[in-house]
Amino acid sequence: MRREVWAGMAALRFVDAVRQALADEMEADESVILMGEEVGPLGGVFTVTRDLIERFGPDRVMDAPLAEASFTGFALGAATEGMRPVVEIMFSDFVMIAMDQIVNHAAKLRYMTNEQFDVPIVVRLPGGGGSNHGPQHSQSFESWFAHTPGLIVAMPSNPSDGYWMMRHAIQLNDPVIFLENKAMYFGAEQEVADEPPADPWAAAVPREGSDLTIVSAGRMVGRCLSAAESISTRGIDCEVIDLRYLWPMDVDTVFTSVAKTSRLLVVSEAVEFCGWSGEVASRVAKDAFTSLDAPIFRVGALRCPIPVGVALEDEIIPTVERIEQAVVDCMDF
Amino acid sequence: MRWAQDLRRHSVGDLATVEEQLFALMLLIRSVEAAIERTHRAAKITGSFHSSLGQESCAAGVSLALRDDDIVTSNHRGHGHAVGKGVSAEAVIAEMFRRTNGSSGGRGGSMHIHNRSVGFYGETAIVGGGLGWASGAAWTRKRHGSDAIAVAYAGDGAFANGIFAEAIRVADFWEAPCLFVCENNGWAHSMPSDGVFGPAGSITNVVSAMNVRSEFVDGRDAVKVYETGCELVEYVRTGKPAFIEVAVHRVKAHSVNDADYRYRPKNEGAEWLREYDPINSLRASIRVEQQHAIESAVSAVVDEALEAASNGALPETSDALRGIYATRGLGWDGRAEIR
Repeated sequence: MRREVWAGMAALRFVDAVRQALADEMEADESVILMGEEVGPLGGVFTVTRDLIERFGPDRVMDAPLAEASFTGFALGAATEGMRPVVEIMFSDFVMIAMDQIVNHAAKLRYMTNEQFDVPIVVRLPGGGGSNHGPQHSQSFESWFAHTPGLIVAMPSNPSDGYWMMRHAIQLNDPVIFLENKAMYFGAEQEVADEPPADPWAAAVPREGSDLTIVSAGRMVGRCLSAAESISTRGIDCEVIDLRYLWPMDVDTVFTSVAKTSRLLVVSEAVEFCGWSGEVASRVAKDAFTSLDAPIFRVGALRCPIPVGVALEDEIIPTVERIEQAVVDCMDF
Repeated sequence: MRWAQDLRRHSVGDLATVEEQLFALMLLIRSVEAAIERTHRAAKITGSFHSSLGQESCAAGVSLALRDDDIVTSNHRGHGHAVGKGVSAEAVIAEMFRRTNGSSGGRGGSMHIHNRSVGFYGETAIVGGGLGWASGAAWTRKRHGSDAIAVAYAGDGAFANGIFAEAIRVADFWEAPCLFVCENNGWAHSMPSDGVFGPAGSITNVVSAMNVRSEFVDGRDAVKVYETGCELVEYVRTGKPAFIEVAVHRVKAHSVNDADYRYRPKNEGAEWLREYDPINSLRASIRVEQQHAIESAVSAVVDEALEAASNGALPETSDALRGIYATRGLGWDGRAEIR
């Protein structure tokens, strides 16, 4: 039985917004539990679960042994019995250890049991670069998950979405991969919207423009907005689309935008090669071909491990400058 | 138990003793496996299957110790675990035949028998993959005030995988009422178990060292498996995990397509069965007329199941994309269903 609660509409940082969403869902529904490494007294290495154990107790905020495969499987088992576990993988890179439970089990259980079991589980993945934690603490795996049938892939780009998308994810009866760019946690505060979006799956258009469409998700949305702002001084007017979900992917919003701008750039923090930005490009190339006045451009991470220092990391992960350059190249075509 | 009701329909009287119950269930499991192998050979079934023929004492001994509301997860060699928990022979065989009256509607096959209504959460084809599932489910039942438990079956091969130690550690840490069953059949595919772990019983020593209650049983004695199973199940009902290793013998090849003559003597399985068959060992304690009554009832149940499975409808091809997501409006192709 859900109890609706006050949603705490203050200006929040991303980290506080996600924490508030967890707390509000835990308040609303006793079956919501948190599991993961250091989620208890420490409150998570990024403080996302800080103070929640004091409020909800160790029966609902469960510090797990360092056993990602096992506690993810345990969470899956609890989910099949009606719990709504939210699993924190301390750094998204560690999810590789739990991939069997996520990909071979959680994602397929409903289908392969002929709908006898649902797996309402959220796997939180603090990931991506920007915090200079090095090659095994900075990866962006979103394309892997978007590629896997049975998963929903959420990738918020701002505090308001961090709040409402997390609440939505916890209420869904399917496994949700929830990608939190850890470099966003302690960024600027933002007013959380009073209501969730009318269409929870729809992409957002944080900047309207007429010359070129930039599609992105997660932390890169901020860089795309910076690039769009900067390049507007040169008379180029970019529209920026924030996909919010990589699966289901709202390509309709992209089609509508490209019909207006006739140019498309897709920006991902994930490795560009075989990455989700190729899916956007391919859909537009096929279904909106006649709208295009230029080839579709993509900017993603180079196919290289993420080095630890800022200087080297900026060579790999898209920067505002690389995005601007791609806009110019696409406009110049 | 469902399987006993099925036998009763074919005029077996009450199965009065543990020996009779074990004999009947083991014979039923073996007959189901044999029927699947026969029909597989007759090319009715594509793909593979993994026979548990000869290993029945583990499934039967543990199953008889369980209640209807207990939960079971199993592995790729799980037909016996399924039948023991109450999945009908028809639902198992029909799933092999990819029919809609199969336990997963014909979309899972041999390694994906699932029947929630009887507590058989089911098999997984990933070695060791079901251990966390069982313990998380059992922990939730306990949290909701039930004393139901879960059993997680895995083969010896799984105990070479890290998930084994992890799952038992986590179940112990969170006090999940889960009985981990290591069905040590002597082989991890073509790899002899004793070469990996040492003699049967060695895996039990490992779990004992983790401070989790553990027992080793020689599966040639089905009654002993049952008795030890009962003790451990009773202990697990108090809210703790436990472990049992049952030494059985894989009479058949790893799978129906496996060339096991390349790694073991050709008649090794059959010879073991001649000498140690745990089903035959029970005959001494069952009246001959009752043995015959059970045999003919088992045979009738399996014939009936084969018939029903063969007559089951094949899934509609238009059904292939159904049921990936529970969320309304999410079809296989993203938002296609709501556009």
